[in-house]
Amino acid sequence: MPTVAGLSAWKWDVRVGAWRCDAIAYSSVRAALKARFTPSFLDDVPQPVRVCWPKVELARHAGGGLAQLRPEQTEALAAWRQGGRRGQIIMPTGTGKTEVALAAMSEAAIATLVVAPVRDLMYQWHRRILRALGYDAGIVGDNLYNIKPVTVTTYDSAYIHMDKMGAGFGLLIFDEEHHLPGKCRREAAILSAAGMRLGLSATPERSDGLHKDLDWLIGPVVYRMPFKKAKGSTLADFDVVRIPVALNDIEQATYDQCSRVVRHFIASRRKAMPGYTWQDLCKESGQDPHARHAQRAYYLKQSIENRAAEKLRVLEDIFRLHNGQQILVFAGSNAMAIEVSRRFLVPTILSHTRKRERLTVLDGFATGQFSVLVANRVLDEGVDVPEAKVAVVIGGQASTRQAKQRLGRVLRRSGNARATLYEVVCEDTKEVDRSRKRRRSDAYERTVHRRV
Amino acid sequence: MLTSEQSIVEFKAGRAIPDRLTQKTHRHYTGYAEKMLCIYRNGIGTQRRCLHRQIETLFAGEPSCPIRRIQAFCKLLDDAGVFATDPSGEAAKLRVKVFSRAASLHPLVQQPDRLFEHGQQQVKAQLADELGTTWQRIEQALYMDVTAFQQLEGFEGYSDPAALLSRYNVAQLQACLYQAESMTVAATSDFKTILRYAKLARLLHEIERLGPSRYRIIFSGPASVLRESRRYGVNFAKFLPALLACKGWKMTAIIQTPWGGSATLDISDRDGFTSHLPSPQEFDSGLEENFAAKFGPERDGWQLVREGDILHDHQRTFVPDFTFRHHDGTEAFLEIVGFWTPEYLAHRRQVLRQFRRPGMLMAVPEKSLREKTGVTENILVYKTAIRIGPLMEALETLRTKAGS
Repeated sequence: MPTVAGLSAWKWDVRVGAWRCDAIAYSSVRAALKARFTPSFLDDVPQPVRVCWPKVELARHAGGGLAQLRPEQTEALAAWRQGGRRGQIIMPTGTGKTEVALAAMSEAAIATLVVAPVRDLMYQWHRRILRALGYDAGIVGDNLYNIKPVTVTTYDSAYIHMDKMGAGFGLLIFDEEHHLPGKCRREAAILSAAGMRLGLSATPERSDGLHKDLDWLIGPVVYRMPFKKAKGSTLADFDVVRIPVALNDIEQATYDQCSRVVRHFIASRRKAMPGYTWQDLCKESGQDPHARHAQRAYYLKQSIENRAAEKLRVLEDIFRLHNGQQILVFAGSNAMAIEVSRRFLVPTILSHTRKRERLTVLDGFATGQFSVLVANRVLDEGVDVPEAKVAVVIGGQASTRQAKQRLGRVLRRSGNARATLYEVVCEDTKEVDRSRKRRRSDAYERTVHRRV
Repeated sequence: MLTSEQSIVEFKAGRAIPDRLTQKTHRHYTGYAEKMLCIYRNGIGTQRRCLHRQIETLFAGEPSCPIRRIQAFCKLLDDAGVFATDPSGEAAKLRVKVFSRAASLHPLVQQPDRLFEHGQQQVKAQLADELGTTWQRIEQALYMDVTAFQQLEGFEGYSDPAALLSRYNVAQLQACLYQAESMTVAATSDFKTILRYAKLARLLHEIERLGPSRYRIIFSGPASVLRESRRYGVNFAKFLPALLACKGWKMTAIIQTPWGGSATLDISDRDGFTSHLPSPQEFDSGLEENFAAKFGPERDGWQLVREGDILHDHQRTFVPDFTFRHHDGTEAFLEIVGFWTPEYLAHRRQVLRQFRRPGMLMAVPEKSLREKTGVTENILVYKTAIRIGPLMEALETLRTKAGS
């Protein structure tokens, strides 16, 4: 059998007395067998069902339906089609990746699974599919397990359930595909037999280099739109204002001391183990008193960094300064987002926020009923947030990816007003480094430093 | 079960050692366990985050207690409690109500002045007034749908401090198994329980006979043959309590280390872990028990072993009720078919047909024999109890055949 298919993918499984290979190899195995055995070749593997889109059918008669694609979106879709419907499309946030994916789904018309990073995005895909294609998709994730020919899920749920549902889909769409190549999550691609695959991202690169594996997990990059191009055409101009939050002397001393402890500990470990990371420290902290000490120092340091009270004071200043304008606040955590909400009595959107409240809050923000909207970092990627000219980031991670995507969202083009992004960071702390790192990406060319 | 973030494993000389609190090393933890149970028992109506803070404070004087251990305790205590949920979305409704009223007063400032006259204290008191309650009440209900803000409604708890600590030890063992690629069990008894629970945990097995009533069983998942995978780690963890309830076993698991290497986790029934599951019953029925008592441990050179062997064909297994081993090495099996439903009997017949062999004897109740045609010399018909005489005859016939 293995020689017949001409593939090394096959392994003999003594436990069940059968040849076994990964579902991802299905297309190539099928092609090899077909080439070898036609005309007696017969494939009785159940094929993914065809899907018809109520809204698209209707629209064909009535005119309208799917949004008209812009030239670069059409180009991207054509490139994917030409690549055998297997490949990645790289487009900056705010340039309509979702529309390209919906158009791809519409023309493939086959059972499709959409994989999104978090459940907010999963629900958003559900809404977008319903709106554009008139299809009420199934949901796997968020304690739901409702599989339909078209289903939306998260990377974590896809990893857990793909071995049970991977045969039913003909097209896989990986939104924010840089989440896929992790050691476990990649199994979401490996355990599915789907022949058509589409990966979407603004920034596929990973610091561990694993994005190279996307070439076989999904397919090669078929289209890439540079960030610069997008900025000029679809995104607005913006200023970045960094507001340092000063620590008092005692806090600063404690902070420095804690930093030293953590730094020394990691450095000493790295002498023996060059790749030693924070995760390793956590694992070790159970037994090693030094590791435990370092871990405690780290948490203390973090709590100083979070310094909710001081940040809330700065936030009040920003609210005063931009009274009458719509302001988006990105908090570093659920807890911080709730702090802000309880202090200023402003609405939040958190990962668990349900559909009705989300709509009420987003609508209220869009119509100006609410002037402030607080989100935890879950909103970082791809969620449809109404336009705002002022955004505040209080705490966050140092990655170009998040920086770009945050910008994309805040600075969606509307009129000619320039947008402002405030970053509230503790002075002389790691957060300043993060901010510095963030600015290194080409998105941040001018940054104004201002004390409030 | 814990999450991976609460797992504490020490890797030393190629071995994985999950965190364990014993009387010898952590005697004083019994006191902590008692206090922790107290906090939760007295904590009805308290928010989850406050309960967790109390537990953290409790361990403030214990400098060597890692944060993960504290978090693991919180998880195990939470698991034994019931928290108020907000299924009808009351919190969301309250938020919309409060935030809508506050929207026109934005921004709420700390110190009102001529430009911004809405102080947060005044506005909050005023809002509470309008809604006919106190601000404290509103604040408590405002984010009741967020896990950290949920209130404890009931606490079933653990029977005593020792039970909490023993559950902690098993939970750490399970969490260590989340990172396991494969698990090998060397077993000498309770085969039925081991195989049944492994199947319930959706594991595949490879069985190797090491000797009389000694087996090596390697457990893994479907994709394990293609690549090393941790995806069955949770299955191993789910299976573990059943194994801990059994006797006469050793278990070795291959654990992936955070550094990309691997280590082994070794435990056995002698390590003193306590399962929350009951030990497997010695006999499935009174019929079997009576028979074993009547036969005795040995008779005419035949030794009697209960569930002493595993017959297997790929993923189908069959553990006959009794194995007979003669001094000369002859082996025979006896399966007692009880009084059951027709569906069960049909299933049993199929299994027995698959594993039919010369040494396989079956005891069948007279009632369930509809036609006599199927009766051969290997079938013993019984009415209420199995008679020893015909059985010994059948065994001797087998031995003569094997010898000739």
